[in-house]
Amino acid sequence: MLNVEHLVKQYGDFTAVDDISFEAGKGSVFGLLGPNGAGKSTAINCISGLLTPTAGHIAVSGHNVVKDGKAARRSLGVVPQELALYEDLPAIDNLRYWGKAYGLRGKELEDRVSAVLEHIGLADRAKDLPKEFSGGMKRRLNFGCGIVHKPKVLLLDEPTVGVDPQSRAKLFDLVEAERDAGACVLYTTHYMEEAERLCDSLAIIDHGKIIAKGSVAELKAQLGARDALQLNGHFPDEATRGAVTSLTSGIADLEILSQADDSLLLTLSSASHHLPQIFEAISAAGGSVSETSLRSPNLETLFLLLTGKELRE
Amino acid sequence: MDFLFASVSKDLRRWMQDKTAFLIWLGIPFLIGGLITSMIDGGGGTPTGVLLIADQDDSLLSGLIGSAYSQEQLGDLLIVEQVSVEEGETRINDGEASGFLVIPEGFQDAFLNETPVTLTLKTNPAQTILPGIIEDVTEILLDAGFYAQRLLGPELKKIQDSGLTELPGDAFVAGISVDIQHKIDAVAPKLSPLLFDLEIVEPPPKEPQPDIALLFLPGIILMALLFASNSLAADYWEERDRGTLRRLVSAPGALPGFVVGKAFAALIVMAFLASITLGLGFVYHGVAWNKFLPSLLWVCVGGVGLFAWFSALQMFFPNNRAANLVTTILLFPLMMAGGSFFPLAALPDWIASIGRLSPNGFIVDRLSGELSAPTAWSIDARSWLTILAVTLSGLALSTWRLRSGFARK
Repeated sequence: MLNVEHLVKQYGDFTAVDDISFEAGKGSVFGLLGPNGAGKSTAINCISGLLTPTAGHIAVSGHNVVKDGKAARRSLGVVPQELALYEDLPAIDNLRYWGKAYGLRGKELEDRVSAVLEHIGLADRAKDLPKEFSGGMKRRLNFGCGIVHKPKVLLLDEPTVGVDPQSRAKLFDLVEAERDAGACVLYTTHYMEEAERLCDSLAIIDHGKIIAKGSVAELKAQLGARDALQLNGHFPDEATRGAVTSLTSGIADLEILSQADDSLLLTLSSASHHLPQIFEAISAAGGSVSETSLRSPNLETLFLLLTGKELRE
Repeated sequence: MDFLFASVSKDLRRWMQDKTAFLIWLGIPFLIGGLITSMIDGGGGTPTGVLLIADQDDSLLSGLIGSAYSQEQLGDLLIVEQVSVEEGETRINDGEASGFLVIPEGFQDAFLNETPVTLTLKTNPAQTILPGIIEDVTEILLDAGFYAQRLLGPELKKIQDSGLTELPGDAFVAGISVDIQHKIDAVAPKLSPLLFDLEIVEPPPKEPQPDIALLFLPGIILMALLFASNSLAADYWEERDRGTLRRLVSAPGALPGFVVGKAFAALIVMAFLASITLGLGFVYHGVAWNKFLPSLLWVCVGGVGLFAWFSALQMFFPNNRAANLVTTILLFPLMMAGGSFFPLAALPDWIASIGRLSPNGFIVDRLSGELSAPTAWSIDARSWLTILAVTLSGLALSTWRLRSGFARK
């Protein structure tokens, strides 16, 4: 349903999206996970036709987005990162308007609008103005406007930014409902837990490049059972760092991912059991640890291991 | 088509919520128009002045001079008041009168005896027209008196010498009459047949004078439309800031319906504003109602043209604030040159010719022609085609700008 091949988007010398490829099928959620500025929204904008790709090929339901954009966009529904609502028109009229924009008419339109209002939990507020809604209600209406025409491919660009936990859970339900109804959903986020819950498969993106791709289980398997151990403190010289390096002979799967004067990132199994041994080696070499962060294996850890930085940085 | 109607309805419902904007669009032109009309029409009627006369002679002849200023049309211009010399001096010095005439004692005797006599006329330097009229009339009266004295001096002397205290006898009247008849008979050969022919030349019938206040009406209407079109054009920025433009360009083929829908919504707003301003103008100035429909159509199409071009222009600026600032600043020279503050006919030729080339000046010029033409539908086909072409090109430019990046940011 959605096929992206070697997509490149450049702005002058800056490459926002650098040769990414992925595909997503009917009834599935594909996630693009990455920090802010990684190129997720640029990729979505290229798919939705808002931006023209510099290179590559994008097909939606078999239609080339560039050459056959109108047909491709008929199958697309977009829920943008920012709200895109007429706050001075009732909720029901927002849905009607966007339904008409996608060619819905008469009874089909009214039936669909009623169904969406029920679906997003705003049936009892249908005639109220969105400007009177809470942030979460606006997000749900924003979502409803993107699905009112029953798109085959739904693009969700960080739909839960700034949403309270209750509304976020409701939005997750809505996404799952669309997937269960057969839609192909492309979901971008920088929240690891969202990707883990919703996505059947995903790509981790950083600096415009895909650095890992697969199902959540496959990606976790890349990490194995190792924890990520971040140490902040004072590691003044090669001797200190050398002391840690020497531990690799005693701890079987210890790997040093990054080293600096004030930080050290390690990965190892059962890290908590090895903490005294590590601290002792650092102290003996004249260093000190002021802060320790231990993470069990998950996508965020994987991102940290792959890039050496936090997902939310 | 459904989406087109939905777009029209969407914009109208949103715009109608901002009632203050409508009040401003109508209020400012009405305020300015009202001030202009009251300045032109206010305090109407012919100016009148006061002529003070101090008649120290109190004779038949001095009385005749006093009453001469009150005759026929002069009587509409001047109010003659008999005063003492002291009062007259005080009032003319205080600027309470246009002129002060002193007829000295012995004026009638001096006139009949052909001895010099001086009448004193003081005029008010703060006034321009009425004192001049009083001076001219006084000179004419004195000239007429001189010639009457030259022709009928002996007869007048005979009447004076008779010292009449009661009605004269028939013989006296007959004698005087015969003497006067002889004078006339002596002059008659010179008059009949007339040695000169008096041709009364009537001035050509005047062109119907334009109603000055009516000249302001088209400019005032366009002022309302300029305010409205600039304000409505900012709605593209409003939509962009709300993110609805981005959603729109993701929908297949919705953009033309969106742009045309906005233009139709603007057309309805223009029709509303123009109906009120034109309607009141037609009632106030008594313009023939068969000119209402062509005037309304012209103004509405022109208004949408202004809206389309303001929209396109606003979309070329990097942010909402800059767009609004520049187009608002642009409004004032447009209104100035385009006949909104002063009618094109009242502007210097070179400014008027530039003004007629401005979009609003073009509309004002043709609308003025329609309102003052003898028949309705006087705007020529070329002008209609021009305004339609300008409007459509503005809409096309707006669509292009939306497609070329404005909606995607």
